Amino acid sequence: MKKKFFLAFLFITSVICMQAQTSGKEDAWLGELKGGIRIQKTQKLYWENGFALDFSSPKIVDSRIHIGLSYVTSRLGSAMGTNAIKQDNYLLSMGYYFRPQKSLQPFTQLNMGYFHADYESAIFDVLPNDAFLFSIDAGLSYEFQIPFTLNLSMGYNLNTGNGSDGPGTLYPVFYQMSIYYTLFKKN
Amino acid sequence: MKTKNIFFRLLVIFLLFLSSCSKSPDIDNETMLDGDKIFDPSLYNPAKYLVSVAIDDPTTIQQNTPVIITVHGYSASTFEWDEFRTYTNANSDILISQVLLGGHGRTYEEFKNSTWEDWQEPIMTEYNALRNLGYTNISFAGSSTACPLVMDLIKKGEIGDNDMKHIFLIDPIVIPSEKLLTLIGLVGPMMGYLETDNTPGEEGYWYHFRPQETLKQLMDLIDKVRKDLQKGYNLPAGTHMKVYKSINDSSADPVSAVLIYKGLKNSDGSNIEVEMIDSEIHVVTRLEGRDNITQQDRDTQIHVFDDMLKILKQ
Repeated sequence: MKKKFFLAFLFITSVICMQAQTSGKEDAWLGELKGGIRIQKTQKLYWENGFALDFSSPKIVDSRIHIGLSYVTSRLGSAMGTNAIKQDNYLLSMGYYFRPQKSLQPFTQLNMGYFHADYESAIFDVLPNDAFLFSIDAGLSYEFQIPFTLNLSMGYNLNTGNGSDGPGTLYPVFYQMSIYYTLFKKN
Repeated sequence: MKTKNIFFRLLVIFLLFLSSCSKSPDIDNETMLDGDKIFDPSLYNPAKYLVSVAIDDPTTIQQNTPVIITVHGYSASTFEWDEFRTYTNANSDILISQVLLGGHGRTYEEFKNSTWEDWQEPIMTEYNALRNLGYTNISFAGSSTACPLVMDLIKKGEIGDNDMKHIFLIDPIVIPSEKLLTLIGLVGPMMGYLETDNTPGEEGYWYHFRPQETLKQLMDLIDKVRKDLQKGYNLPAGTHMKVYKSINDSSADPVSAVLIYKGLKNSDGSNIEVEMIDSEIHVVTRLEGRDNITQQDRDTQIHVFDDMLKILKQ
């Protein structure tokens, strides 16, 4: 079931990208590429921080669809110098941005990826520590006059640990703040 | 006109919210612990449950006999440790104090109005009473929520060096299996309470209705203990700890054992003992009242009892 979701997501993403690449002028699909940092707090659990990339194109639904890649980890958050569990989240996102030409853009995203927790002792090898990530989030994006963008969102993990299946530190509700620097923008 | 509409909608939402907050459960006084007829037996016969009440002037031999304080989990009662008492009485001469958590074993309203600090209080009361009576070999065994309660006592320094010999944690909860519990502060007031699916054998020993206020207290307690473990702390000198954790547990996520192992060390900085158990039961030491018990469950229970008694006799 999880595999099907992931494959469907990859297929949709690929079709959109291919459509963008094959239509119009050779470089017409190039839109905007942003890179930055992400700060994530899970409700009643860890701070997990890391990096994020965001791409949009005028050829992909008039810059309303954004494709993102991100990595957040407790290694750069709660687990720094503490006993918190070291855990990593790798995500591929597809977001829909409303009001693409405005500074303030509400958005909603579908995220899929991979979660891994490191329990650091063989005693706990019997416990699940990997999971397929599937989450949704929604929030606001603000593009400043200078080449920076601030994204704030709240999300929900649809696949969490439940005591028998899935890592126990994969919690449902999370809050994110991403600060992007515009690496490339086609005018 | 528009403003009026918005106010009207807000009023309807507010009234719906209020009506959902005022929910009170339909308690059957004849069968449920929540009612005003069934109380935990330790409340009207404390001498049968508490060593400090049963023996008010212990002999030197009694003072040096191992005495273990057993404590049940959230929404349960002293019944949770009855099987251990029966087994121990038949197999050793260890004394057992079965402590009832504060706010528990009484009416739904008393449970609803209790805090996790209230739950913790009787543990210290019995521990201090035993020490004042001269007992020298005191240990502790807790199941589920009793574990974060005693871990908090250790963190606060309430248990001194060489004052407690062994601590056994059975299916401790630091991370809940039901992750929506993390939203209890938000959705709790709308729910009012949660209804459980107790078996007929459990009704009368476990609350049938769990007030959202107590679930919030539970979440506050485990959140505090998780943060303490994250910073890390040590056991008092002379105290040994062993954790027994079921690997499939619908109440206390097994990852709780990982957090305890990483965050709580022996006084010399070495690792505590942890045994992961192949079981689907929350609190593997209590089988009475459950449906569909297997031979493996019975073997696991006896294994844990024997292991605890062997350690206590060392």
